Amino acid sequence: MTAEVAPPGQPTAATATASGPGRLWRNRSLIVPPVLVLVGLVLVALYVSNQQLDNVEQRILDPGDLLDRLGEHLLLTGYSTLIVIVLAVPLGILLSRPGVGSAQTGVLAFGGFMQALPPFGVIILLAVVVGAGRLGATIALVIASFLPVLTNTVVGLRQVDPALIEAARGMGMSASRTLLKVELPLAVPVMVAGIRVALVLNVGTATLASYVGAGGLGVPIDSALKLGRAEAAFAVSALVAALALMIDWLAGLAQHLVSGRVS
Amino acid sequence: MSEPTESPPAGRSGQPDRPMIALEGVSKTYPKQQRPAVATLDLEVPEGAIVMLIGPSGCGKTTTLKMMNRLIEPTTGRIVLDGEDVTAVNADQLRRRIGYVIQQVGLFPHLNVADNVAVVPKMLGWDRNRITARVEELLYLVGLEPKDFRDRYPRQLSGGQQQRVGVARGLAADPPVMLMDEPFGAIDPITRDRLQDEFLVLQQQIAKTICFVTHDLDEAVKLGDRIAVFGPGGQLRQYDTPDEVLTNPADDYVAEFVGSGAAVRRLSLLELSRLELDQVAVAGGGPGPANGHPVLVVDDSGRPTAWQHLPGLAEPPPLVTVPLSGTVYDAVDVMLDGRTPVVAVVDDDRQPRGLLRWDALVGDLRTKGRRTR
Repeated sequence: MTAEVAPPGQPTAATATASGPGRLWRNRSLIVPPVLVLVGLVLVALYVSNQQLDNVEQRILDPGDLLDRLGEHLLLTGYSTLIVIVLAVPLGILLSRPGVGSAQTGVLAFGGFMQALPPFGVIILLAVVVGAGRLGATIALVIASFLPVLTNTVVGLRQVDPALIEAARGMGMSASRTLLKVELPLAVPVMVAGIRVALVLNVGTATLASYVGAGGLGVPIDSALKLGRAEAAFAVSALVAALALMIDWLAGLAQHLVSGRVS
Repeated sequence: MSEPTESPPAGRSGQPDRPMIALEGVSKTYPKQQRPAVATLDLEVPEGAIVMLIGPSGCGKTTTLKMMNRLIEPTTGRIVLDGEDVTAVNADQLRRRIGYVIQQVGLFPHLNVADNVAVVPKMLGWDRNRITARVEELLYLVGLEPKDFRDRYPRQLSGGQQQRVGVARGLAADPPVMLMDEPFGAIDPITRDRLQDEFLVLQQQIAKTICFVTHDLDEAVKLGDRIAVFGPGGQLRQYDTPDEVLTNPADDYVAEFVGSGAAVRRLSLLELSRLELDQVAVAGGGPGPANGHPVLVVDDSGRPTAWQHLPGLAEPPPLVTVPLSGTVYDAVDVMLDGRTPVVAVVDDDRQPRGLLRWDALVGDLRTKGRRTR
């Protein structure tokens, strides 16, 4: 999912001594994914437009309808990721404070347990519990993508050099000021990496939301599959894949920016 | 290094012996531990003095230092800063009044040099112009050209440069007291030596009260006005001038810690200007060679160029000189280097002021004043 862009640690170290060829290479690695996605989408569009589309397929691939579904899909992804950030980041900060001790292991283990739950099962289960619709789907997405943000917040804060914290406290920074001015700025690249994983997970998982009537791009895929229109299912799936890649790319861009600033 | 006048000397500035920091009955015992990390301790740091806390690992010297700014809260006792009991005041406010420099430097990698130095002034609410001016002044003070270094990031600096910025940051709000935890410990020996020299010059300008943790006896002797030797169990074994610690160790532990090199180390404490040097005459002028004085050949400006006559030596050895501002250690170094048993001592204008013989080192060195040993 994140293979095409360098891991979070690397650009950090490289930015310091950015020389000509290195910069060029990194810029290329930032430009390549969207170009590839665009080429892929054009190819799929060409393929589809060369097919003789029947009524059903035309209805499934209706641009206006697809755009609506795309909007729903993005909203589901956006809301769930936002909720994850609002919940997991403060929890991660709390868990990284000294004195929490063993609670950290416990909470992270619980996070791992939630992550291990199959999203499809959770979506159905929540539809039963809170009723079908967006609410249940959003909660299911939050559960599915909670862990990467939580762990990366904890890990990001834990990897801050203790000498920096000692220096900050020794100069008279309060604990909260140290967190805001030293620890969080230095943890942000790792935290953003976690948010990026959550975003990409959510884009993929949101296709399942159609099963509980929460809309999204899962709806046309579902109907294409049920009606045996493989080409249409393929085209919409390609759209979802392209969306995931583009969101990953955008998040990668953000990650690159923050780590360049912090390194 | 320390003035020969009063005992014990109160630091280079020669101010009265007023304690700037006083630890009164301070001890530290960590929870769930039987033995204290620092046993009950009374320690006074005179204003303007450099006090070196030294001892082996785990002897409580760093703990003692961190209790002074309450990064570690003492279990018992009082901390008095400049006459004020600060044992219970707001610790963050207290630390803004005390400079703090650590071995790992701890420069914030996401802030440039100027912003790193400006951390404490910003917390104290200084206005922007005052901060900019202060940063400039400090960088200049620690030997970094402001316009070259202000905007750099810590990762773009060498270890020595980083520690200079670290010292500048510690000095930023002009605190009367500096706490330094092995600031030169992670720096290569050559750079360390230079930083130590610069540190002494800097201290002459700023005259701070400084507590300095080290495990390097040479550093302690070189920089300290006083040395506090800690032993196992966090006990203060001796607190005295470097000279006294080297010459009269308080107990066997200190004697062993000071070690076999003590006599040689002490040479670097003895300044040539404090010695009664043998007189030396100048060829062609003054009293002449008649009264058995050694005679130097000098050039037009009165600078010695060679020995003309040395009583007791048939063939005069090659001339070596050492500045009067140097120490006996320097004189020995020059003599060993030149393979000669005698060295001429010259002043800042390279005029001869006397001579020192090898024999006198192992015989009786006569010093001016009372400090003869």
